[in-house]
Amino acid sequence: MDIATLQVKMRDAFRVEATDLLAELDSSMLELESRPQDADLLNRVFRAIHTIKGSGATAGFNEMAAFTHHVEELFDEARMGRLIITHEMIDLALQAKDLIGQLLESGNPGELESTCAQVVEALAKFLPESVKPSSRSQLNAGSAISQRQRHKIFFKPHAQVFFSGTDPINLVDELCTLGNAKVTGQIKRIPSLENLNPEQCYLAWNIELVSSQPIAKVKEVFLFVEDESEIKIESRLEPAPGETAKADPLADFLNIAGQSLEALDGFLSHLRASKESDRDCCKNYLRILKTFQAAAYRQDQQEAAALLEEQIHLLEPSITIGGSLSDESKGLLEEGFQQLAALIKSLREHQPFGSRLEVPSILQADTASAPAVDVPRKEPVRVAPSIRVDQDKLDRLIQSAGQLLVARNAFPILAKKLALEHGLSGMGKEVKDAGDHISRIAEDLQAAVMSIRMMPIRTVFQRFPRLVRDIGRAQGKEVELLLEGEDTELDKTVIEQIADPLVHLVRNAADHGIEPPDVREQAGKPRTGKVTLKAYNQANNVVIEVVDDGRGMDPARLKQKALEKGLITASAAAALDDRSALELIFLPGLSTAEQVTGISGRGVGMDVVRSNISQLHGTTTLESRLGGGSKITITLPASLMVSKGILVEAKGEEYVFPIESVVQMVRLERDRIHSHEQAHFATYRNEVFPVLRLADHFACAGQLPATSWPVEVPLAIVQTNKGRTGIAVDRFIGQVEVIVKPMGREFAEIAAFQGTTIMGDGRVALVINPAGFI
Amino acid sequence: MAKTIMVVDDSSSMRQMVNFALASAGYEVVEAADGADALAKSGVQKVDLFITDLNMPNMNGIELTRQLRAAAAYRFTPIVLLTTESQQEKKTEGKAAGATGWVVKPFQVEQLLAVVKKVCP
Repeated sequence: MDIATLQVKMRDAFRVEATDLLAELDSSMLELESRPQDADLLNRVFRAIHTIKGSGATAGFNEMAAFTHHVEELFDEARMGRLIITHEMIDLALQAKDLIGQLLESGNPGELESTCAQVVEALAKFLPESVKPSSRSQLNAGSAISQRQRHKIFFKPHAQVFFSGTDPINLVDELCTLGNAKVTGQIKRIPSLENLNPEQCYLAWNIELVSSQPIAKVKEVFLFVEDESEIKIESRLEPAPGETAKADPLADFLNIAGQSLEALDGFLSHLRASKESDRDCCKNYLRILKTFQAAAYRQDQQEAAALLEEQIHLLEPSITIGGSLSDESKGLLEEGFQQLAALIKSLREHQPFGSRLEVPSILQADTASAPAVDVPRKEPVRVAPSIRVDQDKLDRLIQSAGQLLVARNAFPILAKKLALEHGLSGMGKEVKDAGDHISRIAEDLQAAVMSIRMMPIRTVFQRFPRLVRDIGRAQGKEVELLLEGEDTELDKTVIEQIADPLVHLVRNAADHGIEPPDVREQAGKPRTGKVTLKAYNQANNVVIEVVDDGRGMDPARLKQKALEKGLITASAAAALDDRSALELIFLPGLSTAEQVTGISGRGVGMDVVRSNISQLHGTTTLESRLGGGSKITITLPASLMVSKGILVEAKGEEYVFPIESVVQMVRLERDRIHSHEQAHFATYRNEVFPVLRLADHFACAGQLPATSWPVEVPLAIVQTNKGRTGIAVDRFIGQVEVIVKPMGREFAEIAAFQGTTIMGDGRVALVINPAGFI
Repeated sequence: MAKTIMVVDDSSSMRQMVNFALASAGYEVVEAADGADALAKSGVQKVDLFITDLNMPNMNGIELTRQLRAAAAYRFTPIVLLTTESQQEKKTEGKAAGATGWVVKPFQVEQLLAVVKKVCP
């Protein structure tokens, strides 16, 4: 495998993981927003970002990794307790997260450079000075070939060197590859055999190496052992080794102090401005005080620590008890702040000059002062082992399992044939029994196989907290999103296609539905609006509801709009009851929002939503109460591949109704069907609905429409977007398993059919799409 | 016989990438998702070199190093840590636990192979 192929494979492998990580980040960052000090959460976010950066750079996404580095720094600082995550930071981090996704997909990351630079700049504002200069590692040792040098090297490994998994002779061998080497072993420390401990290293070496490799290369050989071993290298042209500046602990403390003061100042002015004390603000204040104090203790800055202690005492009761902060307390806080500021100022002025240097990199800040952060040992979530499978393979398997299910329908037919046509009823029964057995296995197999394709709707739902939050923040609304039934499973194809329509609906709910807090308050509602997204199973269907408790839709307004846009006539509008008027929203080109907002767009959505759902053989219905909110219900078949159907006969042809579409099958007495000219209606259970005759609808050449009804009419009552309709057939044959194959391209235009299916006996039947012809 | 290298990292793509790189150089590669997994798998199969991440759930790289050093079979087996530039103190801690060396992430394939060759020629 050459390097280029390797790179491609690496990039692919990384993209797969990064997609998962980014999705996880979306939800964990939002969680972090509500619990900014949750250490586990901070670690989780950090680790995800860290992996994206590290693995990404290795996979060759250099721009992305360089950018991600800045985001990582933010969370690293937070994780170390040096800064506190705010709403603004989450805003920015989410934006950055999106950019990372774009950088991964983009063929030309250069074009995102300016956007990235803006985010980096904004991020830098949150970062303490010490982190800002980007700290690159020192590992890029110059590879330029320098002049030949003679190195005299003495190498005496640590006696316990074997326990670090190092075999020192390997290092000596490696040195020899750098040039011409003369190696002399020092064996004088080897004890007599009875005293020799075979797990200890007694040897040392003198090596004279003539090499044109730079000195860095020579030193690199000992990279892993240089701390514990005795190594001396003398070169003819000895370059001065750059001694890295040790971080000064005082400088570091002053750094933290500076940041803390700045943050405290911000919160103080906030406290001053607000009449009642903001509890969150106090909490953040307290947290900074504590971090500050911890740093003070570490540096033995007792005076600062004592001052901070007073303030902590002052603040703590108001948080634990929840009482408001008195003006007197506020004054004391101010006073304490001034004292602290003065103290830090004087410390800074007396700081020895040498240590006033900026702390050069995050590395040193870490070693100098950061408390060791324990890596959590246990992750509560154990993920079941899984494998990724090529989708084609899976589809083949599903197809076969589905065909098996249909093929087993041949057994009862065969059994019947044996019994009736050949007089072998005993044989027939045996065939039937065998068929039943195979049938059960086929069902199990099919269920197992189908479950592979099923995915929890969580994958779609998880994007909504972010969406709703963004809308809320952009519009100054308070919106709470409730998710229910995230584990409800749907076919993968449906999951993929349901996302866009749902985004639209949730947007509408948050953007148009939920009122601004003040408006809500005036209407006697809680300030925070609620959007509920709910999924659950119902028979063979999955139902998804998008409910908001916002302003609801006004049927009169909808009529008005539709009239203005010339979508309906005045007389049609007058004839519409409220319920039907709500249906107008599904007309193309109708927008209800007074103003088109950037978020919900132009109201072209609802008709598109409904037609998208229809393509998935689902239905969309709307309920709304003016002032009380709206509820949109989407009903979808849980699985697209194999489904149950009702086989019916009309004028000698067999048709299949998908079982999801059939609400009920009844035999209705003739006198309950009323005809008016060519239109027919049925009354059933206090409901009136139109009736169609399937045979008429698909009238074959030469057939005349039937003129009379039989005594009992077999009626399949189907539910579509337009409500209920009865479809009259000649005979119900029974329930069948079908794999719906889409119609050939030539027939794709015929909306009345979902496709075709092959019956157990090999004949083909048409599968009806009721929504397509009613 | 090809040397067997165990790659321990909770990032599946990182594991795969290291795997590809090592496999391209003719090594046998075993993957493990965390320290605990690595420890369990190392009992089944003789490993000639461990390459492990530090920050992992269940058992981190430092603890894994400690545990491996405590096992008779791996007292002297090279263990390479995958670190990032911001983990200087972890390197020190790792060395104290008995790690042989480290590779700084992100790495080039050649860098990784050079380190592997260095500790396990």
